[in-house]
Amino acid sequence: MSLHRRRLAVVLSLALLVLSVAAAGCSQGAANQGTGTGGNSAPSTPQIAFYGATNDTMVFWDPSDSYSNEIIAMNNIYERLLQYDPATNQFTGVLAKEWQTSPDALTWTFTLREGVKFHSGNEMTAEAVKSSIERTMKRGNGAAFIWEAVKSIETDGKYKVIFHLSHPSPLDLVAASGYAAFIFDPTVAQKNGEDWFSKGNEAGTGAYMLESWQQGGDLVLKQFPDYWQGWSGKHFSKVVYKTVPEAATKRQMLEAGQLDFVEMLPFEQVEALKSSPNVTITTTPSFQNLMAFFNTQKKPLDNVKVRQALSYAFPYNVVVNDVMKNYAQQSRGPIPKGLWGHDDHLPQYTYDLDKAKQLLNDAGYPQGGFTLTMTYASGDENERRMAELYKAELAKLGITLELKGMPWEAQWDQGKATKPQDRQDIFVMYWWPDYANPYSFLYSLFHTEDKVLFNLGYYSNPQYDQLIDKANGLAATDRQQAIQLYGQAQELLLQDAPALFMYDQEYVRAMRSNFKGYTDNPAYPNVVFFYNTYRE
Amino acid sequence: MTTTEVDDRGGGGRTDQGGRPGQGSRTDRPSEAQDQATRRGSLFWVWHVLRQNPLTALGAAMVLGLVLAALLAPWLAPFPGDGGVDVHPKSQLLAPSLEHPFGTDELGRDLFSRVVYGARISLFTGSLVIGLALLIGIPLGAAAGYLGGFVDEVIMRFVDIVLSFPPLLLATALAAMLGSSLVNAMIAVAVAWWPWYARIMRGQAVALRERGYVEAARAGGVGTLRILTRHIIANSLPPLIVQASMDFGSVILTSASLSFLGLGAQPPQPEWGLLISTGRTFFLTNWWYVTFPGLAILVTAVAFNLVGDGLREYLDPRLRSV
Repeated sequence: MSLHRRRLAVVLSLALLVLSVAAAGCSQGAANQGTGTGGNSAPSTPQIAFYGATNDTMVFWDPSDSYSNEIIAMNNIYERLLQYDPATNQFTGVLAKEWQTSPDALTWTFTLREGVKFHSGNEMTAEAVKSSIERTMKRGNGAAFIWEAVKSIETDGKYKVIFHLSHPSPLDLVAASGYAAFIFDPTVAQKNGEDWFSKGNEAGTGAYMLESWQQGGDLVLKQFPDYWQGWSGKHFSKVVYKTVPEAATKRQMLEAGQLDFVEMLPFEQVEALKSSPNVTITTTPSFQNLMAFFNTQKKPLDNVKVRQALSYAFPYNVVVNDVMKNYAQQSRGPIPKGLWGHDDHLPQYTYDLDKAKQLLNDAGYPQGGFTLTMTYASGDENERRMAELYKAELAKLGITLELKGMPWEAQWDQGKATKPQDRQDIFVMYWWPDYANPYSFLYSLFHTEDKVLFNLGYYSNPQYDQLIDKANGLAATDRQQAIQLYGQAQELLLQDAPALFMYDQEYVRAMRSNFKGYTDNPAYPNVVFFYNTYRE
Repeated sequence: MTTTEVDDRGGGGRTDQGGRPGQGSRTDRPSEAQDQATRRGSLFWVWHVLRQNPLTALGAAMVLGLVLAALLAPWLAPFPGDGGVDVHPKSQLLAPSLEHPFGTDELGRDLFSRVVYGARISLFTGSLVIGLALLIGIPLGAAAGYLGGFVDEVIMRFVDIVLSFPPLLLATALAAMLGSSLVNAMIAVAVAWWPWYARIMRGQAVALRERGYVEAARAGGVGTLRILTRHIIANSLPPLIVQASMDFGSVILTSASLSFLGLGAQPPQPEWGLLISTGRTFFLTNWWYVTFPGLAILVTAVAFNLVGDGLREYLDPRLRSV
């Protein structure tokens, strides 16, 4: 027994030494040799695309419930009525050919494309669209709430769907959402049982269909021969999603040609990859920003002065420069730059310890003297580094910041704990919109909630609620007015400081230089529409 | 080889060696070892063992170095603040130099200072876990061995259940349940560890309870508790000390593994496993980040193993080369 354990100890120690030496040895240049399998196992057939993801790709299989990593694959298996491009603020029809709304924005009519087939072989009809959306709404999981304005859905002939709304809502944005707006063949679910999708099946109209999948392993998609856009021109015949959690491994696989596209790499790796001739780095603005929610229900953060002080104590510039390497900029309110509703005239908190001290003094904590716990997603390097920098700043104010890196589920569970005293003081989280609408930020994160979901600062302000609800009603008919109301709501937020608005980040993508046809669309984060891509 | 298990129950407490014969001679050993230590004076045997065993001497020197590093951390570390909350984002990821012998990390902290401060955490972790494991394992093992019968069955079957899990796996599961913090990780490792000591202690107790002086004490009306503490446990310490000193390295390694997995120490604590976990992102570009904390763990694990080996050699008459 003890011998066994000692041997284990020695072996592990030696393994560590070997690893360290190996790391030292191949630190420069030699990295091209790739991992143990060697660089030669690169895709031998040129028409298979490899996507390197950090987390397991398939969390939800049900297109109604989809609310997580799987959208990178779902968007190739399923399609929506519309596609939205935030850069031009334009919609394109996907499954819908034409669409129009009544002047009061209460009735929306979509005319469908004809001759579109599901992977199951059935035709995509108005009836299928109606049942898909109704099923999603009925299940009420994930992002299903985006359809909340829909009162009833009606079909007119085989190719016309009419949505009746209870109050005005931008249904074009909803129908183009990356979540909860997929159209699927409802008959297979009716035939095979409600949980048929969740067992790892699909019935979409997308260019690629499921070939194989293993829990914890690769997801393989193959061409759907009857795809409505056809297969002439250059396309990949298969797409493989590989889960590669280690950044260093991802980088090596990319350099060795074992991956075509990598969704996110630490900036140190990005800098090192810039010199590689076979790899292209692109940066695009995202709708993703990082926030830290102050527990507005718990002492001492229930005091607005303390929250403001903490907002003044955050080293915004240092984090943007030295952690994010300038692949980010300080946020201006919760709505990220590039999304409509973002307001360039909003005030920003600056790093100002004197002001912070003054505010703490006014709040009755001249020497600080309290301890706060801050939870963040473990494994996220940027969040951790930001947290350590913040801790150093708060220490100067006499405030002890306890950092707790947790798996997301555990972090979220603690945030939703029934007893307020069990909850954290500060909750760090990224947010990106369910659909390209500022309401997604302002409602989900700060609207009064009876049951905690994502309002993790537990903020409640009736005046604020009223403003954003009114703005959302106007979004479809009078967008300028809506933007103005959203601006007022954000000013309220900055004053009440229920959260720290840290930075809007850019997406940094690394891909093989011969991987062509990719364009980044922040409305569909991390998604590669593989139908448009090919290898040169 | 372990010197300690007394396997008198056939298949019950199975060991790596599978019940070696010759238990008779071993039952004499504990008191003999004690006698020698007192007869010759402890300084003498320390010197004697070290001279006979250069490897043990090396191990002892390394352990001494570690203890000194831990104690003198504030004076030894060029940037004592870096072991705590200080950050210097402007000097991030500098290669080793005279100013920063081990380089700097991604927030500009001096890695040498952090590794030195890490020795504090590691030695503290090791002592606390071993202490806790002994505290649980000794009373249970002694009770099982001395009382025998039903008590023995219950305790040892439970020990077998716990031992059927690999210690790292059990500790990982427990730490995940308790939540991530250094203290919880230490508790988890101790809970996974105590059965080893319970088993050794039980073997000793079974052998000792038939000894003349124990029977004499019993005949003289001495209470069970007193016999257990004064005679049984007191005379079983040498093999436990050997085992504990050898386990020290493994415990530190296991705790570092938990921290590596994010279940132990939390940033910015300069725990070695956590340093390696953070540094692995950089191991292609900044070799020094994982190397030095890794070497620190290696040195510690080897040092305690060498010391443990030396101790065992001294205390086990059959292995002694004198």
